[in-house]
Amino acid sequence: MKLFPASLAARASLVLIAGFAVIEVAGLTIEAMDRMDFDRRMARHQVMSHVAMIYRTVEDAKPADRAAVVEDLNKSGDFSASLSAVPPKDLTHEVPERDLPLLLSWAEMRPRENDGPPPMRGFEGPWEHPESPPVFFLPKMGRMPPPPDGFRGGFGDPPPLRFFRGGGRPLHILSFPQRHGRHLAVAMQLPDDSQWLEIRAVLPRATPFSSPLFPLAFALMTAVGGTLIVIAVRRLLAPVGTLVAAAENLVPDDNAAPLPEKGPLELVRAAVAFNAMAARIRRFVSDRTLVLTAIGHDLRTPITRMKLRAEFIDDEELREKFLSDLNELTSMVDATLAYGRESSGREPLVNMDLRALLHTVVDDLVESRPGSEERLVFDEGNSVGRAPVIIRGRPVALKRAFTNLAGNALNYAGGAIVRLTGGGDHPVVVTIDDEGPGLPEEDLTRMFEPFVRMEESRNRETGGAGLGLAIVRTIIRGHGGDVILKNRHPHGLSAIVTLS
Amino acid sequence: MEITPHILIIDDDREIRDLLARFLERNQIRVTTARDGREARRVWSAGHYHLVVLDLMLPGETGLDIARWLRTQGNVPIIMLTAMSDETDRIIGLELGADDYVSKPFNPRELLARVRAVLRRIGDGHENTQGGTRNMRFSGWLLEVSRRRLLNPDGVEVSLTGGEFDLLQALLERANRVLTRDMLLDLLRGRQAGPFDRAIDVAISRLRRKLEDDGRNSQLIKTVRGGGYVFEADVERV
Repeated sequence: MKLFPASLAARASLVLIAGFAVIEVAGLTIEAMDRMDFDRRMARHQVMSHVAMIYRTVEDAKPADRAAVVEDLNKSGDFSASLSAVPPKDLTHEVPERDLPLLLSWAEMRPRENDGPPPMRGFEGPWEHPESPPVFFLPKMGRMPPPPDGFRGGFGDPPPLRFFRGGGRPLHILSFPQRHGRHLAVAMQLPDDSQWLEIRAVLPRATPFSSPLFPLAFALMTAVGGTLIVIAVRRLLAPVGTLVAAAENLVPDDNAAPLPEKGPLELVRAAVAFNAMAARIRRFVSDRTLVLTAIGHDLRTPITRMKLRAEFIDDEELREKFLSDLNELTSMVDATLAYGRESSGREPLVNMDLRALLHTVVDDLVESRPGSEERLVFDEGNSVGRAPVIIRGRPVALKRAFTNLAGNALNYAGGAIVRLTGGGDHPVVVTIDDEGPGLPEEDLTRMFEPFVRMEESRNRETGGAGLGLAIVRTIIRGHGGDVILKNRHPHGLSAIVTLS
Repeated sequence: MEITPHILIIDDDREIRDLLARFLERNQIRVTTARDGREARRVWSAGHYHLVVLDLMLPGETGLDIARWLRTQGNVPIIMLTAMSDETDRIIGLELGADDYVSKPFNPRELLARVRAVLRRIGDGHENTQGGTRNMRFSGWLLEVSRRRLLNPDGVEVSLTGGEFDLLQALLERANRVLTRDMLLDLLRGRQAGPFDRAIDVAISRLRRKLEDDGRNSQLIKTVRGGGYVFEADVERV
């Protein structure tokens, strides 16, 4: 199970988005709680004012009109009010007047003390503050009320009161013996005719989000934020990809441009370190090439002498063997020198006909190996494709490169078909397909490194120094092209040279 | 060639000088050796040489200096021993008038074949092609002998195999003369490592293709009834 993604960009994005989500959820929770709290206060205020309004209206009416008034009030919807001679059976709890606000807040939580900003003044009844005295029983106009139990308010102005105005205070107040969820019920006995006014209400459910657009806006914000995080992380980490590509494509024997040393500090340091490392590797390789070239130069005189001496060996078989060893030695020295020379790339670029060059390569190889004319073929396709293919190149170097590739096919696979496609505006592609055993997949790239060769070919018959393909790659890349090896199906190897 | 040819070998390596002298003498060639330019000048005045084998890489006075001096002394053919496939040396050497070159480490028998080919050219009276280094222009094409390359009228290099180049050179040097297969074989034999006989026709057809002289109505290389070829064009030496 790969729950955690592998790439650094994905991981960083995931971590950032998770953090972002945590912050959002926390912020949203705080916001929603605040919102719900506010909603509840609003609802309570409404309940209070409704209850007060109903009571006042009913109490103000003449007893005979009260039934009609209650019926009128019921039309308003949210509340149900009724009059009856006996108290409702379920409302058994006698509530002191002063506790009425508390009762009405039962359906919700108690107001918190000293918490948050003060509620909106305009809606606030005097009962909102726990310190404030419950003053529903304020006496008739003009007189100061007697201080009730627990009254600590001193002589400050009594808050304006409208609840049980005009002395029409209920004789009894009854309610549920305990909390009843969002349901509220109050029964108040009217003072003049002992009728019970029963008011029932269901508080609206507190909702965290008032607007239906809010979740939509929130989702949009989340999506945009997440996208921005992913884009930003990718941009931030792009130089890492460049570094990886540079490391993968590092060819010690060519002069690729150094990695740009810019971006965040750590990446600049990585790029600087990488460039220094690449320079060191190139120097090692060029030193090695120089040493090899020097050895190659120095070997020529002894090899020449040995070849001359071999001519004086009387035993013909021995002499031929001796000479063939020397020829092999010569070709290895030749390859080494060629590698050193191609690495320095001194041959000038000229306009040349690649088709003629491939003809020459094939013809030369066939001439040097009697009997191979059937096995090494330049397949020109139809006659339309026989026009010269003009490219800008180094003829001697390219001839060596294609000779190495076709020669390998002759040596290891017994023959090959050379094909040329493209030209004009298209990249020129030369393929050399053989029917040999091919190569293990993991060696297809490695074969281009200098001094790498298949272990089983490290023998006398095929000889060589392991430089052939390294020379090919150096030459082709020196032309701004590339060369790859591919296995063919069911068997065989294909060398594909692309020249831009 | 009734007389024994006499050649001068100039090489700084004593072993190579001596071995080469022994090897060539065993093949009926008289050899005098010299270690450097000074010794070469001394023995030069003491004898008559048909050919000089000259190592380009000599300490002190270089092979190129000696080649220049030899050119002032007459038309003696020169075979250069060059650093292995070092183009620059070879081109300069050929432009200075070397008749041929062999790159070190050479095969003694190849050198012998080259020596014989050059000597035969002189014997045939073709020494007026001296140097063989003059470039030749025909129908807009340019054969650069010293660089061993062929440029088409647009200046595009058209690659030739060794055999094709020698064949074209031989045809151009004898333009508008009918050359039989045998004559061509004889002219080319020195250069080719393997048997070339049956390859003449093949090489001619390849050459035609590369000269874009394809098809039955060849304009440049014409087939002569009875087995021969003629190069029909004005060849200008430049």
